[in-house]
Amino acid sequence: MRSEEEVNRAVEQYADTVRRICLVHLKNYADTEDIFQTVFVKYLLHNAPFASSEHERAWIIRVTINACRDLLRSVFRRRTVSLEEVAELPAPAQEHREVLRAVQGLPTAYRDVVYLHYYEGYTAPEIAGILGKNVNTIYTRLTRARGLLREALGGEVDG
Amino acid sequence: MDERFRAAFDSVHAEPELKAAARAAVARRARRRQSPARPLRLALATAACAAVVVLGGGWLYLTPTAHISIDVNPSLELGVNRFDRVASVEGWNDDGTALAQTVDVKNLTYTDAVETILQSEPITALVAQDAVVEIGVIGDDDTRCARILAGVESCTESHRNTHCYQAATGEVEAAHDCGLSYGKYRAYLELAALDPTVTPEEVQGMTMREIRDRIAALSGGTATAESAAGAPAETPAPTPSVPYYGYGYGCEDGEENGYGHHGAGHHGDD
Repeated sequence: MRSEEEVNRAVEQYADTVRRICLVHLKNYADTEDIFQTVFVKYLLHNAPFASSEHERAWIIRVTINACRDLLRSVFRRRTVSLEEVAELPAPAQEHREVLRAVQGLPTAYRDVVYLHYYEGYTAPEIAGILGKNVNTIYTRLTRARGLLREALGGEVDG
Repeated sequence: MDERFRAAFDSVHAEPELKAAARAAVARRARRRQSPARPLRLALATAACAAVVVLGGGWLYLTPTAHISIDVNPSLELGVNRFDRVASVEGWNDDGTALAQTVDVKNLTYTDAVETILQSEPITALVAQDAVVEIGVIGDDDTRCARILAGVESCTESHRNTHCYQAATGEVEAAHDCGLSYGKYRAYLELAALDPTVTPEEVQGMTMREIRDRIAALSGGTATAESAAGAPAETPAPTPSVPYYGYGYGCEDGEENGYGHHGAGHHGDD
């Protein structure tokens, strides 16, 4: 088990990353709070050392994505979500809100690849490693997601 | 476009409350993991569960729910548990104690145990001398006792001069108070009704054949003569003055005298 100090350092370092992944997948604050607790408690209990900070970051991303998927699959979560909660977005500016809504509007399978590629800067093989998918699948999803985003936002979406 | 994505996601930050809630959850979990009482409590709970299982299982296995009383001269009782296995063996006189020590019938099914005892050297020797064997099934569950009785009867079918009966537990306690097994106590009551001077101590050292012969002699029967001639004896009908106990002594339909009787001579007489 890791020390609390170590976990607190990880909370400071990765809280924003976890928050962004939650934003991509989840639509209310309570679920985000659950995911935060799940991810960092798992980090507390994860004994294996990380080879590098990149390795640690990839581990946090993978655990967060899996936790979001588990939560979405959970029967307990199948409850009514208010319109206010759906509209809840922490991004202040209207243009940012538009981009985030476009990502949230993508099919679930495409959201992770878009976030990991366009924001975290991972390559398709790296994303395949994190998500445990075939590289070609990642390329396909990126291409289709790009098309959908172009439709939603207009203009060019760079590869 | 990349810049638009970057700027949009850059504007998203974790709220301080989220971080605080995560830290609190981590601290709670860390305390739970580090608490020295936790493994102790877990160990105690596990030990308690194991004790309940072991003691409960042991109690279920070791507590007799019915008894089989075997009387020749050796008198012994087998305690039968709810799994139809022999949980205890107790001798009720010196011969019975000696027999209990020589035959290893504990944990056997009651049918195997009865067969083992009937085939043991002391019993076969006594039966060869025309001894009477009385086997009683004693318990409070009539249905179960009837089933055990049927099992015992199937074991005794090929044995001469063997009588089977069924009785309730309450009756057995009086027998034990006199220091007698139930089979012998029942015979003692019959004999005492005919000869009030007889004592339980006196009966304790007598064989069942001797008691039956004496009952027959006192009631004007002929068992002694038949026995002396080596022929299987007919068990005399109990005298009306003897207190008979609710379940009857019979174990075969049509027994007028109320006794189940597996004797070669008896079947021949029918």
